[in-house]
Amino acid sequence: MKVSLSWLKDYIPIKMDAEDLAEALTMAGLEVEAVSDRYNYLDTVVVGRVVEVNPHPNANKLKLCSVDIGGQTIPVVCGAPNTKKDMLAPCALPGTCFPNGIILEQSNIRGEVSKGMLCSPVELGLGISGSGIMELKQNLAVGDKLHHALGLSDTVFEIDLTPNRPDCLSIIGTAREIAAFQKTKVSYPEINVSEPLAEPLAESPDTAGDISNFSSVTIIDPDLCPRYSARLVFDIKIEPSPFWLQDRLVSVGLKPINNIVDITNFVMMETGQPLHAFDFDRLAENRIVVRAAEEGEQFTTLDQKERILSTGMLLICDGEKPVALAGVMGGMNSEIEDSTTRILLESAYFDPICIRKTSKKTGLATDASHRFERGTDLGGTVKALNRAVQLISEICGGKIIHGIIDEYPKPAPERIITLSVDASNRRLGTSLSQDEIEQYLKSIEFAVEKIDDDKLRVVPPSFRVDINRFEDLTEEIARLYGYNNIETTFPLIPAEARPPSKKIELRNRIKQLMTCLGFTEAINYSFINKLSCDRLELKADDPKRLMMDVLNPISEDQATMRISLIPGLLETMQYNISVQNRNLKLFEIGNVFFHTGQKDSLPDEVEILSGLWTGARVDAYWGSKEISCDFYDLKGAVEELLRNLGIINTTFTAIEPDACCYTKPGYSARIIVDDSLIGLLGEIHPLVLRNYDLKQKAYVFELDFDKLIGIVPDIKLAKPIPKFPATSRDITLIVDKDIEAMNILKMVEILNENLVENLHLFDVYEGSPIPAGKKSISLRITYRSAFETLEDEMINSLHKDITGRLIKEFDAILPA
Amino acid sequence: MDKTIEQIKEDALKELEAASGPESIKALSVCYLGRKGLVTQFLRSISSLPQEKRADAGKKANEVKKLLDTAFKKALKQLEAESAVSDDRIDVSLPGRVVKRGSLHPITQITQEICDIFSRLGFDIAEGPEVETDYYNFEALNIPKNHPARDMQDTFYISKNIVLRTHTSPTQPRIMEKRKPPLRVIAPGKVYRCDSDLTHTPMFQQVEGFLVDKKSSFGDLKGILTTFIHKIFDDQTRLRFRPSFFPFTEPSAEIDIGCVMCRGKGCRVCSQTGWLEIIGAGMVHPALFENVGYDTKLYTGFAFGMGIERIAMLKYGIDDIRKFYENDLRFLKQF
Repeated sequence: MKVSLSWLKDYIPIKMDAEDLAEALTMAGLEVEAVSDRYNYLDTVVVGRVVEVNPHPNANKLKLCSVDIGGQTIPVVCGAPNTKKDMLAPCALPGTCFPNGIILEQSNIRGEVSKGMLCSPVELGLGISGSGIMELKQNLAVGDKLHHALGLSDTVFEIDLTPNRPDCLSIIGTAREIAAFQKTKVSYPEINVSEPLAEPLAESPDTAGDISNFSSVTIIDPDLCPRYSARLVFDIKIEPSPFWLQDRLVSVGLKPINNIVDITNFVMMETGQPLHAFDFDRLAENRIVVRAAEEGEQFTTLDQKERILSTGMLLICDGEKPVALAGVMGGMNSEIEDSTTRILLESAYFDPICIRKTSKKTGLATDASHRFERGTDLGGTVKALNRAVQLISEICGGKIIHGIIDEYPKPAPERIITLSVDASNRRLGTSLSQDEIEQYLKSIEFAVEKIDDDKLRVVPPSFRVDINRFEDLTEEIARLYGYNNIETTFPLIPAEARPPSKKIELRNRIKQLMTCLGFTEAINYSFINKLSCDRLELKADDPKRLMMDVLNPISEDQATMRISLIPGLLETMQYNISVQNRNLKLFEIGNVFFHTGQKDSLPDEVEILSGLWTGARVDAYWGSKEISCDFYDLKGAVEELLRNLGIINTTFTAIEPDACCYTKPGYSARIIVDDSLIGLLGEIHPLVLRNYDLKQKAYVFELDFDKLIGIVPDIKLAKPIPKFPATSRDITLIVDKDIEAMNILKMVEILNENLVENLHLFDVYEGSPIPAGKKSISLRITYRSAFETLEDEMINSLHKDITGRLIKEFDAILPA
Repeated sequence: MDKTIEQIKEDALKELEAASGPESIKALSVCYLGRKGLVTQFLRSISSLPQEKRADAGKKANEVKKLLDTAFKKALKQLEAESAVSDDRIDVSLPGRVVKRGSLHPITQITQEICDIFSRLGFDIAEGPEVETDYYNFEALNIPKNHPARDMQDTFYISKNIVLRTHTSPTQPRIMEKRKPPLRVIAPGKVYRCDSDLTHTPMFQQVEGFLVDKKSSFGDLKGILTTFIHKIFDDQTRLRFRPSFFPFTEPSAEIDIGCVMCRGKGCRVCSQTGWLEIIGAGMVHPALFENVGYDTKLYTGFAFGMGIERIAMLKYGIDDIRKFYENDLRFLKQF
């Protein structure tokens, strides 16, 4: 909301300068976002003296002037009839931005250069006359900036009000706050409505008598409209407003329209109470009926748009039809027109929720709806109405009809709050006296009475709709005392520690390990494109396809909650490759969201750890070329991660080709710990690569973080260091190509020879001289005893035995 | 017996000193200690000495033998080590072979830093779901349906009653429902709002914090947050508390810090005000306690929340929040 300093000064003396006032308002809770002078646009308008006036050679109505702008004389083409030699007038220079939005440029008018413009009051926003240029007093200094020469300065504050303070959505509301921290008083405008007598007068039968003779208000739905006040003014003439009124509206960013509309806007800005003026003669049966809208009812608002209404909205109707969408916008059919002579002025209180719903549903947000939906002053309708009527009679010269209609079917319950000074001090950490608190509350117009030494009986004013309980009062006290004056203290925290969350600790540990393994952490958005399932080549019946869609997404790419981290990682890969980062080792830990199948219910949020490796295993350097990464690089990283977490019984088993659609058949593995599936590892399927427009191979893994938590051991136990030396023996076996190496290692483990300490697979070879369909596998077995140094003969015999059993088990042969 | 064993020793050591290479030392070793060497011969000759001198001579001769053996071997090792040094030179300016470490996302790093500070202040760390019910995200926090306060946060909806949480504040009622005071909790996590520009991403991260006890005051809130800001920025950081509005706190406050970019002089980052809004806070609204069944006469509490990206942007001098979620390796590698 915009508030101008000069308008504020109508109600309160202000001594501090604009910057200090802005700071004080901010510290009182009315955050000032910007401070500016509204006449800044006159920076490039100077006082000019017309030194020569000649006829324009190519245009009868134009004149060619030379204007002294202080130190230099410029040619100006001018069409105003009152231009004459030696007059002083405002001269705008190129670059000036006029109130109507036009920016002045140096121009060529019918063949003559014009380097400036002599301006009329209306062009400069300084008056309403547009018939000739503005003649300035001769004592002004030529070349001086116009706003300086005329002493034009008015600071405008842009205030960002929090939704709890509708009472400050007005100049007086802001003045009240200033009064509190300045410790001065607000001088409210005096309202004197000169009413004609209610007696019938022979000379003016049309306007004599009480309002009840002319009109009535019926509230059918008092819950939505607890109060409706109205007055009538007849014999008015619709005209532009006087300049002072237009200027006030312009100063706070409103556009002048005509005297009646301007007055309603002026009073709204002054008091915070929105008003609406109806053309009385366009109201059927000259009366008002307030009722809820019917579903599907149609109505054309002032902005000429046809609205389809629904139940819960509120309509102001005349005897036959709707004439306004209550609290939001008036109707075309009852709008004030140039021919209007009789008006009905509305000042009402509407239910905030009703107005908010209406505004949301229709997409219509107006100055009125903004105030009604936050809560206007239920006790202030009549005062605002009288203020407007007073201005109308002053400005438009109308005749005010005697009496007021004030339908008030639902008076507000009185709010009485008991405040304990001690409880307030404890909540705030202050030691304010009862008197101090009483003074603070009175300074913002709260009614306060002492109950006893500790308690106060407080009644907030009707405009403070945000004050309902004791705690609300403590905020008022704190803010008036000054948040920064409250002493900084420290809570007493006992020396006890709750066990840290295993989940958070493990997550941090994993993140640390992943970085040690060379992976950089990525964080992708939790939403993905709906097409992601197709891009991952998921089958049509894959349960993951049931996703949590966002009803109001920002874009197609963020339209549904992710069911995997892989799409995000692939998009990150795509982005990085597009900016020439080809070699990537990335990981991410985050939630994925599975639909439970039930409507309107929370998803299963599962935390997943995923990694992606693409490009180089080893970057090129001066001693070696780049080596590309492969399946086993990523597998090694996963193994090392799990080993570091203390998980030892991990196995990787081949996935049957159609069990995972986004990894390449034959190049994918399940990650299993103690018979439980905890994740997947594999090369991205070429079709998926194509779907993401990727050309280089990528390897990914996914681990279920929630399952990891369950299997990471809590305890670490040290093993003794062996006392006796180890001896190792190698075996090379030639076996069928399809035999998985891990099975051979497992077999050795199954033999359960307790002298076998370690197995190391050090070579796998296919090709000549190994026969086709076969491969050679070389193992090194390390033997050690915990009790003695082993004799060669004993090891040889054991090794021969193991070799023999492996040959038999795998139908192997020894190399020639 | 021509020479005494002492003479043999002296001669040998002299010759060793003069020896020029490993070969000559080896030859000396043979000459003295070999099968026909002087010391060996001397030892053999002892048997011809009178009985009473044999023991003494034998002892001396063996000592000499040992001494010389050690001396020859030491000299040989010394020469071998010296010969490994040559005039060869490597180019020490060639780059080393790097074992590359990855890096943690800057948001993770700042989150951990924030959690560490509050852990030291005695707060527990907790988490809550990212997809929330309307109840926990709004109603339980005293934000009824159709309240203008809902405009303060543009909400992503999944269905009528399911939303992407717009703040980490739902962790307050969730934890209060499960535990009894005293509570000191911080809860970091992802939150979502329908907004995207230089200073907003539709997903961002917050840390919520709250303390509920029998005697907590607004002064205590100031104490905790002042300590926090001085730790996360530095001890010189100025801060101010000013009134604001959140439906779930009363009184509510906004905490500004003196702009870390311009040191309060006024710049683009602080919109020329010299101040930066950094934390929303306040005393927990009694409606929250009523919703979870705490006795509002007995307990008070304070709560606060902050955006992690904002702190990271200020600490690292980042001017576009979207950088955090582009995951450009050239950006991530800097942290």
